[in-house]
Amino acid sequence: MKKISFEGFMKGVFMLCATTSILAIILICYFIFSGGVPFIMEYGLKEFLLGTSWRPSNTPPAFGILPMIFGSLVMTLVAVVLGVPIGVLTATYLAKFCDKRLYKILKPCINLMAGIPSIVYGFFALVVIVPLMKDVFGGTGMNIITASILLAIMILPTIIGLSESSIKSVPNSYYEGSIGLGASHERAVMTVVLPAAKSGIISSIILGVGRAIGETMAVILVAGNQPRIPNSLTKGVRTLTTNIVLEMAYAADAHREALIATAVVLFVFILLINAIFLIVKRRTLN
Amino acid sequence: MKRIISLTLVLMIIMAFAVGCTGTDNGADGGFDTSQTINVISREDGSGTRGAFVEIVGIVDENDNDLTTVDAVVQNSTNGVMTTVAGDEYSIGYISLGSLNDTVKALKVEGVEATAENVKSGEYKIARPFNIAFQSGLSELAKDFVNFILSAQGQAIVEENGFIAALDGEEYTPSGLTGTIVVAGSTSVTPVMEKLAEAYEGLNDGVSIEIQSTGSSAGMTAAMEGSADIGMASRDLKDSEKEVLEYEVIAIDGIAVIVNKENTIEDLTMDDIRSIYLGEITTWDEVE
Repeated sequence: MKKISFEGFMKGVFMLCATTSILAIILICYFIFSGGVPFIMEYGLKEFLLGTSWRPSNTPPAFGILPMIFGSLVMTLVAVVLGVPIGVLTATYLAKFCDKRLYKILKPCINLMAGIPSIVYGFFALVVIVPLMKDVFGGTGMNIITASILLAIMILPTIIGLSESSIKSVPNSYYEGSIGLGASHERAVMTVVLPAAKSGIISSIILGVGRAIGETMAVILVAGNQPRIPNSLTKGVRTLTTNIVLEMAYAADAHREALIATAVVLFVFILLINAIFLIVKRRTLN
Repeated sequence: MKRIISLTLVLMIIMAFAVGCTGTDNGADGGFDTSQTINVISREDGSGTRGAFVEIVGIVDENDNDLTTVDAVVQNSTNGVMTTVAGDEYSIGYISLGSLNDTVKALKVEGVEATAENVKSGEYKIARPFNIAFQSGLSELAKDFVNFILSAQGQAIVEENGFIAALDGEEYTPSGLTGTIVVAGSTSVTPVMEKLAEAYEGLNDGVSIEIQSTGSSAGMTAAMEGSADIGMASRDLKDSEKEVLEYEVIAIDGIAVIVNKENTIEDLTMDDIRSIYLGEITTWDEVE
Protein backbone atom coordinates (compact mmCIF):
# COMPACT_ATOMS: atom_id res chain seq x y z
CA MET A 1 0.00 0.00 0.00
CA LYS A 2 2.69 2.38 1.08
CA LYS A 3 4.73 1.54 -1.97
CA ILE A 4 1.88 2.40 -4.33
CA SER A 5 1.19 5.75 -2.72
CA PHE A 6 4.88 6.60 -2.92
CA GLU A 7 4.78 5.68 -6.59
CA GLY A 8 1.72 7.87 -7.05
CA PHE A 9 3.51 10.70 -5.30
CA MET A 10 6.58 10.39 -7.49
CA LYS A 11 4.36 10.24 -10.55
CA GLY A 12 2.94 13.56 -9.47
CA VAL A 13 6.42 15.03 -9.02
CA PHE A 14 7.44 13.91 -12.48
CA MET A 15 4.27 15.32 -13.99
CA LEU A 16 4.87 18.62 -12.22
CA CYS A 17 8.34 18.77 -13.74
CA ALA A 18 6.90 18.04 -17.15
CA THR A 19 4.28 20.75 -16.87
CA THR A 20 6.82 23.37 -15.75
CA SER A 21 8.05 23.86 -19.29
CA ILE A 22 4.50 24.10 -20.64
CA LEU A 23 3.69 26.62 -17.95
CA ALA A 24 6.76 28.63 -18.88
CA ILE A 25 5.70 28.69 -22.54
CA ILE A 26 2.19 29.82 -21.63
CA LEU A 27 3.53 32.56 -19.37
CA ILE A 28 5.94 33.79 -22.05
CA CYS A 29 3.17 33.83 -24.65
CA TYR A 30 0.88 35.70 -22.29
CA PHE A 31 3.46 38.30 -21.33
CA ILE A 32 4.69 38.95 -24.86
CA PHE A 33 1.28 39.10 -26.49
CA SER A 34 -0.46 41.10 -23.76
CA GLY A 35 2.41 43.59 -23.84
CA GLY A 36 2.71 43.88 -27.60
CA VAL A 37 -0.65 43.28 -29.20
CA PRO A 38 -2.46 46.35 -27.70
CA PHE A 39 0.31 48.54 -29.09
CA ILE A 40 0.04 46.98 -32.55
CA MET A 41 -3.74 47.50 -32.50
CA GLU A 42 -3.33 51.11 -31.51
CA TYR A 43 -0.56 51.92 -33.94
CA GLY A 44 -1.98 49.88 -36.81
CA LEU A 45 -0.73 46.49 -37.92
CA LYS A 46 -0.01 47.65 -41.45
CA GLU A 47 1.91 50.76 -40.35
CA PHE A 48 3.87 48.70 -37.86
CA LEU A 49 4.83 45.83 -40.16
CA LEU A 50 5.23 47.77 -43.39
CA GLY A 51 6.47 51.14 -42.12
CA THR A 52 10.02 51.84 -43.30
CA SER A 53 10.88 54.53 -40.77
CA TRP A 54 11.98 53.79 -37.20
CA ARG A 55 12.13 57.08 -35.28
CA PRO A 56 10.83 56.35 -31.78
CA SER A 57 11.89 59.70 -30.28
CA ASN A 58 10.16 61.89 -32.85
CA THR A 59 6.83 63.65 -32.41
CA PRO A 60 4.84 61.87 -33.69
CA PRO A 61 7.06 58.82 -33.35
CA ALA A 62 7.48 56.42 -36.25
CA PHE A 63 7.59 52.71 -35.42
CA GLY A 64 7.99 50.94 -38.77
CA ILE A 65 9.80 47.62 -38.41
CA LEU A 66 9.94 46.61 -42.07
CA PRO A 67 13.71 47.35 -42.18
CA MET A 68 14.24 44.99 -39.23
CA ILE A 69 12.04 42.24 -40.69
CA PHE A 70 13.89 42.63 -43.97
CA GLY A 71 17.23 42.63 -42.15
CA SER A 72 16.45 39.44 -40.23
CA LEU A 73 15.27 37.64 -43.36
CA VAL A 74 18.12 38.71 -45.66
CA MET A 75 20.78 37.99 -43.07
CA THR A 76 19.30 34.55 -42.39
CA LEU A 77 18.95 33.78 -46.09
CA VAL A 78 22.58 34.63 -46.85
CA ALA A 79 23.70 32.68 -43.77
CA VAL A 80 21.76 29.64 -44.99
CA VAL A 81 23.19 29.95 -48.51
CA LEU A 82 26.70 30.04 -47.04
CA GLY A 83 26.22 27.58 -44.20
CA VAL A 84 24.00 24.83 -45.57
CA PRO A 85 26.34 23.45 -48.27
CA ILE A 86 29.23 23.38 -45.80
CA GLY A 87 27.06 21.83 -43.10
CA VAL A 88 25.44 19.15 -45.24
CA LEU A 89 28.70 18.19 -46.95
CA THR A 90 30.43 18.01 -43.56
CA ALA A 91 27.66 15.76 -42.28
CA THR A 92 27.96 13.51 -45.35
CA TYR A 93 31.71 13.32 -44.87
CA LEU A 94 31.38 12.48 -41.18
CA ALA A 95 28.75 9.83 -41.82
CA LYS A 96 30.14 8.11 -44.90
CA PHE A 97 33.72 9.09 -45.77
CA CYS A 98 35.57 9.97 -42.60
CA ASP A 99 37.99 7.44 -41.14
CA LYS A 100 37.52 6.54 -37.48
CA ARG A 101 40.56 8.30 -36.03
CA LEU A 102 39.73 11.62 -37.71
CA TYR A 103 36.09 11.24 -36.66
CA LYS A 104 37.17 11.07 -33.02
CA ILE A 105 38.74 14.50 -33.40
CA LEU A 106 36.17 16.12 -35.69
CA LYS A 107 33.02 15.16 -33.82
CA PRO A 108 34.00 16.64 -30.43
CA CYS A 109 35.17 19.81 -32.22
CA ILE A 110 31.75 20.26 -33.79
CA ASN A 111 30.04 19.58 -30.48
CA LEU A 112 32.28 22.17 -28.89
CA MET A 113 31.19 24.70 -31.53
CA ALA A 114 27.63 24.29 -30.36
CA GLY A 115 28.62 25.07 -26.80
CA ILE A 116 30.55 28.28 -27.36
CA PRO A 117 28.58 31.30 -26.03
CA SER A 118 27.29 33.52 -28.81
CA ILE A 119 28.98 36.64 -27.46
CA VAL A 120 32.32 34.87 -27.94
CA TYR A 121 31.42 34.24 -31.59
CA GLY A 122 30.51 37.91 -31.85
CA PHE A 123 33.82 38.99 -30.45
CA PHE A 124 35.65 36.65 -32.82
CA ALA A 125 33.77 38.19 -35.75
CA LEU A 126 34.51 41.69 -34.50
CA VAL A 127 38.28 41.17 -34.40
CA VAL A 128 38.67 38.80 -37.37
CA ILE A 129 35.86 39.11 -39.92
CA VAL A 130 35.14 42.84 -39.56
CA PRO A 131 38.69 44.03 -40.39
CA LEU A 132 38.79 41.59 -43.31
CA MET A 133 35.50 42.91 -44.69
CA LYS A 134 36.71 46.47 -44.21
CA ASP A 135 39.65 45.77 -46.49
CA VAL A 136 37.57 43.98 -49.09
CA PHE A 137 34.48 46.18 -49.28
CA GLY A 138 35.52 49.41 -47.52
CA GLY A 139 33.28 51.19 -45.04
CA THR A 140 33.13 50.01 -41.44
CA GLY A 141 33.22 46.31 -42.25
CA MET A 142 29.99 45.92 -40.30
CA ASN A 143 27.53 44.72 -42.89
CA ILE A 144 25.13 41.96 -43.91
CA ILE A 145 27.88 39.74 -45.30
CA THR A 146 29.93 39.94 -42.10
CA ALA A 147 26.95 39.06 -39.95
CA SER A 148 25.87 36.31 -42.36
CA ILE A 149 29.30 34.67 -42.36
CA LEU A 150 29.19 34.72 -38.58
CA LEU A 151 25.70 33.23 -38.52
CA ALA A 152 26.68 30.61 -41.08
CA ILE A 153 29.43 29.47 -38.70
CA MET A 154 27.04 29.52 -35.76
CA ILE A 155 24.37 27.37 -37.42
CA LEU A 156 26.91 24.76 -38.58
CA PRO A 157 26.72 22.55 -35.45
CA THR A 158 22.92 22.41 -35.64
CA ILE A 159 22.94 21.46 -39.32
CA ILE A 160 25.83 19.02 -39.08
CA GLY A 161 24.54 17.20 -36.00
CA LEU A 162 21.00 16.63 -37.27
CA SER A 163 21.97 15.92 -40.87
CA GLU A 164 24.58 13.42 -39.79
CA SER A 165 22.18 11.43 -37.66
CA SER A 166 19.54 11.45 -40.40
CA ILE A 167 22.11 10.21 -42.95
CA LYS A 168 23.22 7.52 -40.54
CA SER A 169 19.62 6.40 -39.96
CA VAL A 170 19.08 5.63 -43.65
CA PRO A 171 18.82 1.79 -43.80
CA ASN A 172 22.11 0.28 -44.87
CA SER A 173 20.28 -1.83 -47.49
CA TYR A 174 19.82 1.32 -49.63
CA TYR A 175 23.56 1.77 -49.79
CA GLU A 176 24.29 -1.93 -50.24
CA GLY A 177 21.66 -2.20 -52.96
CA SER A 178 23.13 0.61 -55.03
CA ILE A 179 26.65 -0.77 -54.56
CA GLY A 180 25.29 -4.14 -55.68
CA LEU A 181 23.93 -2.50 -58.83
CA GLY A 182 27.43 -1.32 -59.65
CA ALA A 183 27.50 2.23 -58.27
CA SER A 184 30.71 3.54 -56.79
CA HIS A 185 30.86 4.52 -53.09
CA GLU A 186 30.50 8.25 -53.89
CA ARG A 187 27.67 7.67 -56.31
CA ALA A 188 25.79 5.51 -53.84
CA VAL A 189 26.14 8.08 -51.07
CA MET A 190 25.32 11.16 -53.15
CA THR A 191 22.47 9.81 -55.26
CA VAL A 192 20.86 7.21 -53.00
CA VAL A 193 21.63 7.78 -49.32
CA LEU A 194 21.46 11.60 -49.30
CA PRO A 195 18.08 11.84 -51.08
CA ALA A 196 16.74 9.21 -48.69
CA ALA A 197 17.81 11.42 -45.75
CA LYS A 198 16.28 14.49 -47.41
CA SER A 199 13.60 15.29 -44.86
CA GLY A 200 16.01 15.00 -41.93
CA ILE A 201 18.40 17.33 -43.68
CA ILE A 202 15.61 19.80 -44.41
CA SER A 203 14.57 19.75 -40.74
CA SER A 204 18.14 20.50 -39.76
CA ILE A 205 18.15 23.48 -42.12
CA ILE A 206 14.88 24.75 -40.65
CA LEU A 207 16.27 24.52 -37.12
CA GLY A 208 19.38 26.33 -38.37
CA VAL A 209 17.17 29.10 -39.73
CA GLY A 210 15.47 29.32 -36.34
CA ARG A 211 18.81 29.67 -34.62
CA ALA A 212 20.00 32.31 -37.10
CA ILE A 213 16.88 34.44 -36.88
CA GLY A 214 16.93 34.41 -33.09
CA GLU A 215 20.62 35.16 -32.68
CA THR A 216 21.25 38.47 -30.94
CA MET A 217 24.38 39.10 -28.94
CA ALA A 218 26.81 38.10 -31.66
CA VAL A 219 24.97 39.95 -34.41
CA ILE A 220 24.68 43.18 -32.44
CA LEU A 221 28.46 43.55 -32.46
CA VAL A 222 28.98 43.20 -36.20
CA ALA A 223 25.81 44.17 -38.07
CA GLY A 224 26.07 47.96 -37.85
CA ASN A 225 22.49 48.20 -36.56
CA GLN A 226 21.20 50.89 -38.93
CA PRO A 227 17.39 50.88 -38.96
CA ARG A 228 16.89 51.18 -42.71
CA ILE A 229 16.42 48.86 -45.66
CA PRO A 230 19.92 48.31 -47.07
CA ASN A 231 20.45 48.68 -50.81
CA SER A 232 23.33 46.23 -50.99
CA LEU A 233 24.83 43.33 -49.06
CA THR A 234 27.78 45.49 -48.03
CA LYS A 235 25.54 47.84 -46.02
CA GLY A 236 24.81 47.50 -42.33
CA VAL A 237 21.48 46.23 -41.13
CA ARG A 238 19.40 45.88 -37.99
CA THR A 239 17.54 42.71 -37.11
CA LEU A 240 14.41 42.22 -35.00
CA THR A 241 16.41 40.82 -32.10
CA THR A 242 19.06 43.53 -32.03
CA ASN A 243 16.40 46.23 -32.25
CA ILE A 244 14.97 45.03 -28.94
CA VAL A 245 18.28 44.72 -27.13
CA LEU A 246 19.71 48.01 -28.41
CA GLU A 247 16.93 50.24 -27.21
CA MET A 248 15.31 48.46 -24.26
CA ALA A 249 17.51 50.15 -21.66
CA TYR A 250 16.36 53.67 -22.43
CA ALA A 251 12.92 53.02 -23.82
CA ALA A 252 9.81 54.35 -22.11
CA ASP A 253 6.07 54.38 -22.81
CA ALA A 254 5.13 53.77 -26.44
CA HIS A 255 8.76 53.12 -27.40
CA ARG A 256 8.96 50.28 -24.89
CA GLU A 257 5.66 48.83 -26.07
CA ALA A 258 6.90 49.02 -29.66
CA LEU A 259 9.93 46.94 -28.65
CA ILE A 260 7.71 44.34 -27.00
CA ALA A 261 5.60 44.35 -30.16
CA THR A 262 8.80 43.70 -32.10
CA ALA A 263 9.24 40.66 -29.88
CA VAL A 264 5.72 39.56 -30.85
CA VAL A 265 6.68 39.64 -34.52
CA LEU A 266 9.86 37.70 -33.78
CA PHE A 267 7.87 35.20 -31.74
CA VAL A 268 5.44 34.66 -34.61
CA PHE A 269 8.40 34.06 -36.93
CA ILE A 270 9.80 31.43 -34.57
CA LEU A 271 6.37 29.78 -34.25
CA LEU A 272 6.09 29.63 -38.03
CA ILE A 273 9.53 28.07 -38.35
CA ASN A 274 8.68 25.48 -35.71
CA ALA A 275 5.36 24.72 -37.40
CA ILE A 276 7.15 24.10 -40.69
CA PHE A 277 9.64 21.91 -38.84
CA LEU A 278 6.83 19.81 -37.35
CA ILE A 279 5.10 19.45 -40.72
CA VAL A 280 8.30 18.30 -42.41
CA LYS A 281 8.95 15.87 -39.57
CA ARG A 282 5.44 14.44 -39.65
CA ARG A 283 5.67 13.89 -43.38
CA THR A 284 8.81 11.82 -42.76
CA LEU A 285 7.04 9.61 -40.29
CA ASN A 286 4.16 8.85 -42.63
CA MET B 1 38.67 13.59 -62.79
CA LYS B 2 37.28 13.76 -59.25
CA ARG B 3 40.75 14.25 -57.90
CA ILE B 4 41.28 17.21 -60.20
CA ILE B 5 38.04 18.80 -59.09
CA SER B 6 38.84 18.37 -55.42
CA LEU B 7 42.35 19.71 -55.99
CA THR B 8 41.01 22.83 -57.71
CA LEU B 9 38.55 23.32 -54.86
CA VAL B 10 41.30 23.13 -52.26
CA LEU B 11 43.45 25.51 -54.33
CA MET B 12 40.58 27.98 -54.57
CA ILE B 13 40.08 27.95 -50.81
CA ILE B 14 43.79 28.50 -50.21
CA MET B 15 43.81 31.36 -52.72
CA ALA B 16 40.80 32.96 -51.07
CA PHE B 17 42.67 32.91 -47.76
CA ALA B 18 45.80 34.32 -49.37
CA VAL B 19 43.86 37.18 -50.97
CA GLY B 20 42.23 37.94 -47.64
CA CYS B 21 45.58 38.08 -45.87
CA THR B 22 47.34 40.31 -48.40
CA GLY B 23 44.33 42.60 -48.28
CA THR B 24 44.96 43.13 -44.57
CA ASP B 25 48.60 44.00 -45.21
CA ASN B 26 47.75 46.63 -47.80
CA GLY B 27 45.23 48.28 -45.52
CA ALA B 28 47.68 48.69 -42.64
CA ASP B 29 50.24 50.95 -44.30
CA GLY B 30 47.85 53.08 -46.34
CA GLY B 31 47.93 56.24 -44.19
CA PHE B 32 44.91 58.49 -43.87
CA ASP B 33 43.05 58.92 -47.15
CA THR B 34 40.67 61.89 -47.02
CA SER B 35 38.70 60.80 -50.08
CA GLN B 36 37.27 57.97 -48.00
CA THR B 37 33.69 57.89 -46.80
CA ILE B 38 33.00 59.10 -43.28
CA ASN B 39 31.67 56.26 -41.16
CA VAL B 40 29.19 57.90 -38.85
CA ILE B 41 28.74 56.23 -35.44
CA SER B 42 25.72 57.13 -33.36
CA ARG B 43 24.07 56.01 -30.13
CA GLU B 44 20.72 54.27 -30.08
CA ASP B 45 17.44 56.14 -30.10
CA GLY B 46 16.39 57.12 -26.58
CA SER B 47 19.96 57.46 -25.26
CA GLY B 48 20.47 60.62 -23.17
CA THR B 49 23.80 61.29 -24.87
CA ARG B 50 22.23 61.10 -28.31
CA GLY B 51 19.28 63.27 -27.27
CA ALA B 52 21.59 65.98 -25.92
CA PHE B 53 24.01 65.77 -28.85
CA VAL B 54 21.42 66.12 -31.62
CA GLU B 55 19.73 68.96 -29.78
CA ILE B 56 22.88 71.01 -29.18
CA VAL B 57 24.42 70.43 -32.60
CA GLY B 58 21.07 71.00 -34.29
CA ILE B 59 20.52 67.65 -35.96
CA VAL B 60 16.79 68.19 -35.47
CA ASP B 61 13.94 69.67 -37.45
CA GLU B 62 11.62 72.44 -36.23
CA ASN B 63 9.68 69.96 -34.07
CA ASP B 64 12.85 68.71 -32.33
CA ASN B 65 12.72 65.47 -34.28
CA ASP B 66 15.98 63.55 -34.49
CA LEU B 67 17.34 63.67 -38.06
CA THR B 68 20.52 61.59 -37.61
CA THR B 69 21.29 59.86 -40.91
CA VAL B 70 19.94 56.32 -41.10
CA ASP B 71 23.29 55.23 -42.51
CA ALA B 72 24.90 55.80 -39.11
CA VAL B 73 26.18 52.70 -37.35
CA VAL B 74 24.37 52.37 -34.03
CA GLN B 75 26.20 51.33 -30.86
CA ASN B 76 24.34 51.04 -27.59
CA SER B 77 27.06 52.04 -25.15
CA THR B 78 29.82 54.60 -24.69
CA ASN B 79 32.35 51.78 -24.83
CA GLY B 80 30.87 50.43 -28.05
CA VAL B 81 31.30 53.82 -29.73
CA MET B 82 34.89 54.12 -28.49
CA THR B 83 35.88 50.62 -29.60
CA THR B 84 34.39 51.15 -33.04
CA VAL B 85 36.09 54.51 -33.54
CA ALA B 86 39.41 53.18 -32.20
CA GLY B 87 39.25 50.32 -34.71
CA ASP B 88 38.16 52.25 -37.77
CA GLU B 89 40.27 55.07 -39.23
CA TYR B 90 37.41 56.75 -41.04
CA SER B 91 34.75 56.84 -38.37
CA ILE B 92 33.44 59.63 -36.16
CA GLY B 93 31.45 59.32 -32.94
CA TYR B 94 30.50 61.12 -29.75
CA ILE B 95 30.85 60.18 -26.08
CA SER B 96 30.64 61.68 -22.62
CA LEU B 97 33.74 63.78 -21.89
CA GLY B 98 34.11 61.99 -18.54
CA SER B 99 34.66 58.67 -20.39
CA LEU B 100 37.25 59.94 -22.87
CA ASN B 101 40.60 58.15 -22.91
CA ASP B 102 43.62 58.02 -25.20
CA THR B 103 42.44 55.20 -27.49
CA VAL B 104 40.66 57.85 -29.57
CA LYS B 105 41.18 61.50 -30.48
CA ALA B 106 38.76 64.21 -29.35
CA LEU B 107 38.28 66.91 -31.98
CA LYS B 108 38.27 70.62 -31.31
CA VAL B 109 34.88 72.15 -31.96
CA GLU B 110 35.00 75.68 -33.46
CA GLY B 111 38.70 75.72 -32.49
CA VAL B 112 37.99 75.01 -28.82
CA GLU B 113 39.53 71.94 -27.22
CA ALA B 114 37.22 69.53 -25.38
CA THR B 115 38.37 69.97 -21.79
CA ALA B 116 36.56 70.39 -18.48
CA GLU B 117 37.84 74.00 -18.21
CA ASN B 118 36.46 74.97 -21.60
CA VAL B 119 33.12 73.38 -20.81
CA LYS B 120 32.95 75.30 -17.53
CA SER B 121 33.81 78.62 -19.18
CA GLY B 122 31.14 77.96 -21.77
CA GLU B 123 33.56 78.14 -24.72
CA TYR B 124 33.11 74.45 -25.60
CA LYS B 125 29.60 74.37 -26.90
CA ILE B 126 28.59 70.70 -26.75
CA ALA B 127 27.72 70.23 -23.08
CA ARG B 128 24.69 68.95 -21.28
CA PRO B 129 23.42 69.01 -17.72
CA PHE B 130 23.14 66.00 -15.47
CA ASN B 131 19.81 66.38 -13.69
CA ILE B 132 18.19 64.83 -10.70
CA ALA B 133 14.43 65.07 -10.45
CA PHE B 134 11.96 64.32 -7.67
CA GLN B 135 8.38 64.94 -6.64
CA SER B 136 7.60 67.92 -4.40
CA GLY B 137 6.71 65.75 -1.41
CA LEU B 138 10.25 64.45 -0.99
CA SER B 139 11.12 62.70 2.30
CA GLU B 140 13.37 64.53 4.82
CA LEU B 141 16.14 62.03 4.22
CA ALA B 142 16.04 62.27 0.44
CA LYS B 143 15.95 66.06 0.72
CA ASP B 144 19.06 65.89 2.87
CA PHE B 145 20.79 63.73 0.25
CA VAL B 146 19.93 66.28 -2.44
CA ASN B 147 21.39 69.00 -0.22
CA PHE B 148 24.54 66.92 0.14
CA ILE B 149 24.86 66.50 -3.64
CA LEU B 150 24.58 70.26 -4.12
CA SER B 151 26.96 71.06 -1.22
CA ALA B 152 30.64 71.88 -1.50
CA GLN B 153 31.59 68.27 -0.64
CA GLY B 154 29.16 66.80 -3.13
CA GLN B 155 30.28 69.06 -5.95
CA ALA B 156 33.92 68.25 -5.17
CA ILE B 157 33.11 64.56 -5.80
CA VAL B 158 31.50 65.54 -9.11
CA GLU B 159 34.73 67.28 -10.18
CA GLU B 160 36.91 64.36 -9.07
CA ASN B 161 34.99 62.17 -11.52
CA GLY B 162 35.81 64.29 -14.54
CA PHE B 163 32.61 66.30 -14.70
CA ILE B 164 32.06 69.97 -14.11
CA ALA B 165 30.46 71.18 -10.89
CA ALA B 166 27.12 72.86 -11.43
CA LEU B 167 27.42 75.37 -8.59
CA ASP B 168 29.58 76.50 -5.68
CA GLY B 169 27.70 74.84 -2.85
CA GLU B 170 27.78 75.48 0.86
CA GLU B 171 29.35 73.23 3.46
CA TYR B 172 27.23 70.17 4.35
CA THR B 173 26.67 69.02 7.93
CA PRO B 174 25.39 65.49 8.56
CA SER B 175 21.79 65.42 9.70
CA GLY B 176 21.74 62.11 11.55
CA LEU B 177 18.63 60.88 9.67
CA THR B 178 18.30 57.18 8.89
CA GLY B 179 16.45 55.15 6.24
CA THR B 180 16.59 54.10 2.61
CA ILE B 181 16.70 56.16 -0.57
CA VAL B 182 16.05 54.72 -4.05
CA VAL B 183 17.75 56.49 -6.96
CA ALA B 184 17.08 55.41 -10.57
CA GLY B 185 17.94 56.62 -14.04
CA SER B 186 20.68 57.48 -16.52
CA THR B 187 23.56 55.07 -17.03
CA SER B 188 25.83 58.08 -17.63
CA VAL B 189 25.03 59.65 -14.25
CA THR B 190 25.17 56.36 -12.33
CA PRO B 191 28.98 56.20 -11.81
CA VAL B 192 29.17 59.64 -10.18
CA MET B 193 25.94 58.97 -8.24
CA GLU B 194 27.52 55.83 -6.80
CA LYS B 195 30.45 57.88 -5.51
CA LEU B 196 28.08 60.46 -4.05
CA ALA B 197 26.01 57.77 -2.34
CA GLU B 198 29.13 56.14 -0.91
CA ALA B 199 30.31 59.43 0.58
CA TYR B 200 26.85 60.21 1.97
CA GLU B 201 26.54 56.79 3.58
CA GLY B 202 29.98 57.36 5.10
CA LEU B 203 28.80 60.59 6.73
CA ASN B 204 25.42 59.30 7.89
CA ASP B 205 25.24 55.95 9.66
CA GLY B 206 22.08 53.95 9.08
CA VAL B 207 21.38 55.30 5.61
CA SER B 208 21.34 52.97 2.62
CA ILE B 209 21.04 54.23 -0.93
CA GLU B 210 19.92 51.90 -3.69
CA ILE B 211 20.94 52.94 -7.22
CA GLN B 212 19.26 51.49 -10.30
CA SER B 213 20.95 52.15 -13.61
CA THR B 214 18.02 52.05 -16.01
CA GLY B 215 18.34 54.97 -18.44
CA SER B 216 17.21 58.59 -18.32
CA SER B 217 13.64 58.10 -19.48
CA ALA B 218 13.07 55.12 -17.21
CA GLY B 219 14.48 57.12 -14.29
CA MET B 220 12.08 60.00 -14.88
CA THR B 221 9.18 57.56 -15.13
CA ALA B 222 10.25 55.91 -11.87
CA ALA B 223 10.36 59.28 -10.11
CA MET B 224 6.92 60.22 -11.46
CA GLU B 225 5.40 56.89 -10.48
CA GLY B 226 7.06 57.01 -7.08
CA SER B 227 8.98 53.74 -7.46
CA ALA B 228 12.15 55.79 -6.98
CA ASP B 229 12.69 58.78 -4.68
CA ILE B 230 15.08 60.50 -7.04
CA GLY B 231 15.42 60.11 -10.83
CA MET B 232 18.64 60.81 -12.77
CA ALA B 233 18.70 62.18 -16.31
CA SER B 234 21.65 62.90 -18.58
CA ARG B 235 19.54 65.32 -20.61
CA ASP B 236 17.21 68.25 -20.09
CA LEU B 237 13.82 67.29 -18.73
CA LYS B 238 10.98 67.13 -21.20
CA ASP B 239 8.08 69.52 -20.66
CA SER B 240 5.79 66.69 -19.62
CA GLU B 241 8.32 65.73 -16.95
CA LYS B 242 8.84 69.30 -15.73
CA GLU B 243 5.13 69.61 -15.02
CA VAL B 244 5.24 66.84 -12.40
CA LEU B 245 8.81 66.91 -11.12
CA GLU B 246 11.14 69.37 -9.47
CA TYR B 247 14.71 69.14 -10.70
CA GLU B 248 18.25 70.26 -9.93
CA VAL B 249 21.32 70.35 -12.15
CA ILE B 250 24.03 68.42 -10.28
CA ALA B 251 26.82 68.51 -12.85
CA ILE B 252 27.71 69.54 -16.38
CA ASP B 253 29.17 67.01 -18.81
CA GLY B 254 30.80 67.83 -22.11
CA ILE B 255 30.21 65.59 -25.12
CA ALA B 256 33.44 64.91 -26.98
CA VAL B 257 33.37 64.38 -30.74
CA ILE B 258 35.86 61.59 -31.32
CA VAL B 259 37.74 60.23 -34.35
CA ASN B 260 40.43 57.61 -34.89
CA LYS B 261 43.97 58.57 -33.91
CA GLU B 262 45.10 58.13 -37.54
CA ASN B 263 42.69 60.86 -38.60
CA THR B 264 44.55 64.04 -39.68
CA ILE B 265 41.64 66.33 -38.99
CA GLU B 266 41.88 68.27 -35.71
CA ASP B 267 39.10 70.77 -35.78
CA LEU B 268 35.48 70.81 -36.98
CA THR B 269 32.87 73.54 -36.94
CA MET B 270 29.40 72.91 -35.53
CA ASP B 271 28.07 73.15 -39.10
CA ASP B 272 30.47 70.43 -40.27
CA ILE B 273 29.44 68.10 -37.46
CA ARG B 274 25.80 68.84 -38.17
CA SER B 275 26.21 68.12 -41.89
CA ILE B 276 28.10 64.88 -41.18
CA TYR B 277 25.37 63.61 -38.87
CA LEU B 278 22.66 64.71 -41.29
CA GLY B 279 24.39 62.69 -43.99
CA GLU B 280 25.01 65.77 -46.20
CA ILE B 281 28.79 65.48 -46.00
CA THR B 282 29.94 61.95 -46.70
CA THR B 283 33.70 62.10 -47.33
CA TRP B 284 36.51 63.47 -45.20
CA ASP B 285 37.94 65.83 -47.87
CA GLU B 286 34.73 67.88 -47.73
CA VAL B 287 35.52 69.03 -44.18
CA GLU B 288 39.28 69.45 -44.49
